[in-house]
Amino acid sequence: MAVRTIDVRERIMARNDELAQQVRERLREAGVPALNLVSSPGAGKTLLLERTLADLGDELVISVVTGDVQTQNDADRLARHTDRLVQAVITNGACHLDAKQVLTALDAIDLAATDLLFIENVGNLVCPASWDLGENAKIVLFSVTEGEDKPVKYPKMFQQARTVVFTKLDLLPHVPFKLERAIEFCRQVNPELQFLSTAALTPDGLDEWYGFLWAEARSGARGKRG
Amino acid sequence: MHELGLALEVCRMTEERLGADGMAQVRAVGVEIGDDAGIEVGNFQFCLETLLAEPPFRGAHPVILRRPGDVLRLAYLEVDDGRPDD
Repeated sequence: MAVRTIDVRERIMARNDELAQQVRERLREAGVPALNLVSSPGAGKTLLLERTLADLGDELVISVVTGDVQTQNDADRLARHTDRLVQAVITNGACHLDAKQVLTALDAIDLAATDLLFIENVGNLVCPASWDLGENAKIVLFSVTEGEDKPVKYPKMFQQARTVVFTKLDLLPHVPFKLERAIEFCRQVNPELQFLSTAALTPDGLDEWYGFLWAEARSGARGKRG
Repeated sequence: MHELGLALEVCRMTEERLGADGMAQVRAVGVEIGDDAGIEVGNFQFCLETLLAEPPFRGAHPVILRRPGDVLRLAYLEVDDGRPDD
């Protein structure tokens, strides 16, 4: 009997990337910009989205897909601030969302009536960097209660991201975090990064963020008209 | 967890190529992993070895081929399909 060698040479992420392309295509056709929010656990993704839905929900139609290892607590929190469907994906142990889960979640979302889609990924700075979800951009939330050197510890995530959103800026006087040093580390791994500062528990702490979101939504609206 | 997810994907790709019945015939699974692929090689190898030891596989062994760059791909499958030597 002979042992035969079958040549395969196929990328292990090929299937995910193919599905991500389908997500990207559906979003492009509908003119919906999609932002994939990634961070360490506890950086403030859900709070940022709660405030965003409460403050912009009357002017922008925002849909959300949330990913959690267990529970749909985040989706329940967000649903209190919007009458739009918040799609919860429970990954059952997996530490990231994949393109198949997002593609399935899109089936329940009225994309034609959506201005902006958020994908709230599982809190993890490692694996979500490797999984393309068909998003327009990965946005890393980086809280001032973390170490400034997160970008050099988790370079792939910061290399994949387009924007870093610093969160909990109102805590800056009480923690040893140095914003300039954190920005330096970010630029070491990705000189193209754009930076935003937020403080979701203060009244005007999200102005810069909202300016950014309006610009994103307007880019999608141009796609809708086109 | 990341490495386990990738190892499961290798098993799915193997099944896609050989069909459910062919998985018992696999003797080795060759995977190319780049130095910059962001994979903990020892952990990935252990995950894949564990999966290949269980049905529908029958103790196939993983072969890890280190490469430069960020390549991550299923390179080859060695199968013993019971056919006689050429």
